[in-house]
Amino acid sequence: MNLCEAEKTFILHGVEENFRVDGRERSQYRPMELETNVVAHAFGSSRLRLANTDVLVAVKIETDVPSVDQPDEGKIEFFVDCSANATPDFEGRGGEELATEIANSLTSAYRSTKAFNLSKLCILKGRKCWKLYVDILLLECGGNLYDAVSLAVKAALWNTDIPRVLAVNLDGNNVEMEVSDNIHECVKLDIVPAPVMVTISKIGEQCVVDPSAAEEQCATASMVVAVSQDRFTTVLQSGSGSLHPSTLRESLKLGLEIGSKLDQALIEVLKQKPAKKQIGFLM
Amino acid sequence: MPTDNKRIAGPEDSISYRLFKETSNESVLSKINNLKNNIRSDGRKTNEQRKIFLKCGVVSQAKGSAYFEVDNTKLIVSVYDPREIPKKTDYSLKGELFCIFKYAPFSCPNRRGHQQDAEEKQHSAIMKRALESAVCRHEFPNFQVDVYVLVLENDGSALSGAITAAGIALAQAGIPMYDTITSATLAIQGSTKLLDPTLEEEALCTIATHKSDTETGYDSHGIIVLAILSTHEQISEFYQLGNLNLDTLNESISILMNATKEIVPLVEKCLVDYVNKTFKANGQS
Amino acid sequence: MLQEIHIRLAETRDNTPLAINQRVPKIFTPGEIISEQQEFMRGHGTYEEDIYLKASVAGIKEQVNKLISIRPLKSRYNGEIGDVVVGRITEVQQKRWKVDTNSRLDSLLLLSSVNLPGGELRRRSAEDEHMMRQYLQEGDLISAEVQNVFSDGSLSLHTRSFKYGKLSQGVMLKVFPSLIKRSKTHFHDLPIGASVILGNNGFVWISPTMVNQEDNVGGFTQNLEEVVPRGTRETIGRLRNCILALAQSNVMLFDTSILYAYEESLKYNVAELLLPEAMVDVAILTQHKLNLSEYS
Repeated sequence: MNLCEAEKTFILHGVEENFRVDGRERSQYRPMELETNVVAHAFGSSRLRLANTDVLVAVKIETDVPSVDQPDEGKIEFFVDCSANATPDFEGRGGEELATEIANSLTSAYRSTKAFNLSKLCILKGRKCWKLYVDILLLECGGNLYDAVSLAVKAALWNTDIPRVLAVNLDGNNVEMEVSDNIHECVKLDIVPAPVMVTISKIGEQCVVDPSAAEEQCATASMVVAVSQDRFTTVLQSGSGSLHPSTLRESLKLGLEIGSKLDQALIEVLKQKPAKKQIGFLM
Repeated sequence: MPTDNKRIAGPEDSISYRLFKETSNESVLSKINNLKNNIRSDGRKTNEQRKIFLKCGVVSQAKGSAYFEVDNTKLIVSVYDPREIPKKTDYSLKGELFCIFKYAPFSCPNRRGHQQDAEEKQHSAIMKRALESAVCRHEFPNFQVDVYVLVLENDGSALSGAITAAGIALAQAGIPMYDTITSATLAIQGSTKLLDPTLEEEALCTIATHKSDTETGYDSHGIIVLAILSTHEQISEFYQLGNLNLDTLNESISILMNATKEIVPLVEKCLVDYVNKTFKANGQS
Repeated sequence: MLQEIHIRLAETRDNTPLAINQRVPKIFTPGEIISEQQEFMRGHGTYEEDIYLKASVAGIKEQVNKLISIRPLKSRYNGEIGDVVVGRITEVQQKRWKVDTNSRLDSLLLLSSVNLPGGELRRRSAEDEHMMRQYLQEGDLISAEVQNVFSDGSLSLHTRSFKYGKLSQGVMLKVFPSLIKRSKTHFHDLPIGASVILGNNGFVWISPTMVNQEDNVGGFTQNLEEVVPRGTRETIGRLRNCILALAQSNVMLFDTSILYAYEESLKYNVAELLLPEAMVDVAILTQHKLNLSEYS
């Protein structure tokens, strides 16, 4: 879908006026809907809907051998699947580039120990650790994928139950591990510092957050910042395009502010005790 | 890249002996603290870059190529003619860049496989983003230009070196460009900011350290790569890793901007020299 | 100033259906037997097997004398001659444009069925063929009328009236074509300072009301310089959100329903209308008001 010049002009003037096409201000998000624990076979899962963007995240856990250079740390890996359900453009290998880009940005954002402490996932130093597979499925694309994905990932990790290890024995060269039978006896991860990502698009001379698909087309450049407790864990540009240093500074500042606020809103929601009622995929 | 079965793969599991060295929180801190009088192990100041050697036209087969060397970081970039984007169904008005960033198997302390790993793929994507805004892409619609980077030896700051070198190679290949593109890396550990870090310094800055209990305050660490179109003052790529606050980022931007400006004359001289040389050679024949 | 960020749990969503006291007609599913008698004629959305007449789409039965057809609940747009549509140019070809009108096949707009600048009776020269991209290029939006339906179902459009032509600044929305109520006119200059074109194909165009429409000969001008004033912009934004709210609750779209929704929405500010509760609220109130006015 390509917009015509007149539509772009309308969007551009709206951003200038601080009154976007749907009535939002430049720094305003669209309402989101979140549900956790939606996939029965996953250790933790979440589904986030932001306007037309729909993301499903599931966490699977397996045991693995820690890498040699980080013997006392577990592992986390991100996989993004751009399902052809989202748009026909993703058919075949069409979505691969976008998928690796999002997965890479998540890997970078979660890399710092400050943002996500992997040492809790270690079972026996150098021998055994948990490995988290975070699978992200894009069900629908309506703009602003990075933000939606990062929020959904954080929610899914929040929801993740790690089985409690009762005992670890070293029998010769084999590691024997006893895991609690009680499915309710689990360990939760410390997810509070996990980063959330904010996309800031430069439209005209102004920076906006949470661009819609139409607004993304008008953007000259966009930055993605991952914010964890008022600090940046990753900053990168998405798509080609360049910006002036002053715009960069401005968007960093905006990103930090919005990111902290977004994080706060997410944690507040996650802290609400979820009821038994499940909505799942019924609209 | 398709799998190349004929090539001999390295052993399945091998561990570099260097990993058995003791690295601890204290050792990182002490190494950083040793820099207190702003002199690094190789005698540089913290805000000093290594001497850069640049040369273009090193690969005769390629349309454009460049060799980049700072101390022990050595890399070659080659750029090939524009060709039609393969397997593309719809017409794209703007041309594309196709970047492959590859560490040679012997370039790092650990042996690298001959297939691109995740880090190399990410670096390729960063290069693509950085270079695309420098190239007049509308001048070759539906074409792609291939840019291949091979790091022969990695001693830190390979990505920023690759971007700078790729800019030269593109210019030498005669690809229309808006501006020269230069790039620099900054590594941060605590309050120490190391410009153009070596591999060891890069490693120091990816580890989060805990400050001693008496000191409250926050220990930032991270690596920033910045690429800029110098005359237009347009940042074409900004990539940060680690954990930093806003003030540190703002300071780092200024440091990196100055550093990239220092490289511009080198890039220009390299290109002018090349032109002069070819001119002379042609005149003689 | 920072706005509040709304994230909520899915379970807090209230799925209040619109309470409409309407009889729900029987819905046929594909393969379902409609009639066992052979006296009926096979219409759209049906097929004959053995002696039975079966549905081929999910939808409701429509019967005209002996012709039985099934009208699907959701479908792409099926054009009829005389329909007003809003479309987007997808391709410029020899002597014609291809237009995306949400129908199965791209529609055609022939160079001969547009009014070129300079009057209706102007001859079309070879030069005009070269100039086509300057009149309408890929991505441009137009309003047009369906002139003809080809045998394969693709539509031929025309813009031979001053009210049709290229659209300037504004917003386009996509809703289901079945939600657009057919009426005498699909162009509405609403008294609140904005114009709405309800395309039969489900594309809705909202724009500021043109003051001097007579100048707009042939309709190939776009004013890219003019900045839409804040007040009008707010109205357009509100209308956009209202129409989406109505469409989400499956309320038919026509001038009255849009105006009612606009009035009901005034208690919210424009951005609040993105909240699901507000959307449902506006739709319910509008439906209620519509019901009242129908019975009075």
